[in-house]
Amino acid sequence: MLYDIFIDPFVQMYDMPDFFLQVLWEGFVAGILYALIALGFVLIFKASGVFNFAQGIMVVFAGLTLVGLNENGVPAYLALALTIGAMGILAYGVERVVMRPLVNQPDIILLMATIGLTYFLIGFGEFVFGGEPKQMITEELGLPTGSTAIEFGERGLIILQHIDIAAAVIAVLMVAALGVFFNKTRIGRALRAVADDHQAALSVGISLNQIWAIVWFAAGLVALATGIMWGARSDVSFALEIVAFKALPVLILGGFTSIPGAIVGGLIIGFGEKIGELYWGGLVGGGIESWLAYIIALIFLLFRPQGLFGERIIERV
Amino acid sequence: MNAFATDMTTAPDGSAEAAAREELLRVDNVSLSFGGVKAITDISFDILKGEIRAIIGPNGAGKTSMLNVINGFYHPQEGTITWQGKERRKMKPYEAASQGIARTFQNVALFKGMTTLDNIMSGRSLKMHRNFFWQLIWRGPAEAEEIEHRRKVEDIIDFLEIQAIRKTPVGRLPYGLQKRVELGRALAMEPDLLLLDEPMAGMNLEEKEDMSRFILDVNQEFGTTIALIEHDMGVVMDLSDRVVVLDYGKKIADGPPEDVQADQNVIDAYLGVSH
Repeated sequence: MLYDIFIDPFVQMYDMPDFFLQVLWEGFVAGILYALIALGFVLIFKASGVFNFAQGIMVVFAGLTLVGLNENGVPAYLALALTIGAMGILAYGVERVVMRPLVNQPDIILLMATIGLTYFLIGFGEFVFGGEPKQMITEELGLPTGSTAIEFGERGLIILQHIDIAAAVIAVLMVAALGVFFNKTRIGRALRAVADDHQAALSVGISLNQIWAIVWFAAGLVALATGIMWGARSDVSFALEIVAFKALPVLILGGFTSIPGAIVGGLIIGFGEKIGELYWGGLVGGGIESWLAYIIALIFLLFRPQGLFGERIIERV
Repeated sequence: MNAFATDMTTAPDGSAEAAAREELLRVDNVSLSFGGVKAITDISFDILKGEIRAIIGPNGAGKTSMLNVINGFYHPQEGTITWQGKERRKMKPYEAASQGIARTFQNVALFKGMTTLDNIMSGRSLKMHRNFFWQLIWRGPAEAEEIEHRRKVEDIIDFLEIQAIRKTPVGRLPYGLQKRVELGRALAMEPDLLLLDEPMAGMNLEEKEDMSRFILDVNQEFGTTIALIEHDMGVVMDLSDRVVVLDYGKKIADGPPEDVQADQNVIDAYLGVSH
């Protein structure tokens, strides 16, 4: 038994390095995708202290809008532009209808409001696009669909899906752009100010409405990217919403307020999950992928309650 | 009661000089209530350019509510507010800020996770004109602007003698220093009117003296008009040019400190006479 836990998996990794590398790659891709979802949560949490329950459904909604438009004869790129526009309208609407009347309310009220938003988006999405799963328009968007096999060692073979490579590249670009946007611009400082204290931010002339609309729009764009990438791997359906909650352990790991945290957290969860499943999963009958992430997060929580990159909570009493 | 107040402003001492000054803000017959609770009832007073105006009164008199009305956090049900000669309708706090009204808070409202420097820089947000799209496209002008603002902020830091805590997250600072940083953030807005809500609450004697000196310096060197709420009567009497006294949401006196001090209504309010 001990041999199975502590020695055998490593022997396997050594014996079949190509398989191990394949697992790592899978973990990497899954991690990037988790990071993308987590990023959407982090953006809104940073700016308003709200855990946006609706982030998952926003992913689905963005994906459905894109595919739905295309199905109705709108060319892919135009559909993409229109979807971006739709996310903008959604952001403006959320700010106007949900956030604005709730300024200075306790965080729990805002959380409840995002749960309400979730149900609204589910209903609205089903009403407009129907409840059937849809095929992501991967090819129409010019995303690569093939795969490359790299020979490794004497008889090893690593298969890289092109869509996965594209996902990784897009995620990295997106994260870099957001990083610059929030750290190097005055909006970034305003954003942190709003996150800290609504009243004080208002008193120095920061418009909460503007900041919130911007942040929700950014989260909408992240949701769209996530929707395309996840959608290309499976289908665009309301089931994707559940996948979004994989972001929870990522957020616990990385800290709710840190963009790098979301990325590193996502990668740790991605790697941990795949490696755990393929090398140790068999010991308990497999299927540990679905809950291992939470165990990893719990262990981290014991040692760093604020997450890897979270802001230290300093409170003078 | 109102007759009494008018008496005060037309009193011979100091009022001729006051009348010559320009009016910066006037509050006319303002009433504010929350549900059935009346916070402010029919209050009128003015703030002249360049003066230090104190608003005093026992706890719950409506002082902070008055300040919140002035900077747009609360919208009064009745009455008007005239700012720099223009009567204003419902105004949002950030609009008040952009028109030159800065404030501090009774219970310090700083951005606790940010450093002293960033906190004070945030006071410059309205003065930064290159917007974020500019910053994304071409950093040159935006960077030059940032440097310019940084210089102004450093001046404020020197003025308030908080150089040593420039890079410290404000959440870690002792209360007295937090109050000072908050003043710095308000000053960074280069306001026409500075509203201070109990700037000396919870301070020791030395800190109070420092703060008094800063307030006087701000008033004299930068010519900033100041409206302050304060409970320490010694401070109020020393600093202010004119005092408004509120009690139970009503104005009970208005005039120079020495007159207000001698006023029977004020003495009753503070000592507690059955209403």
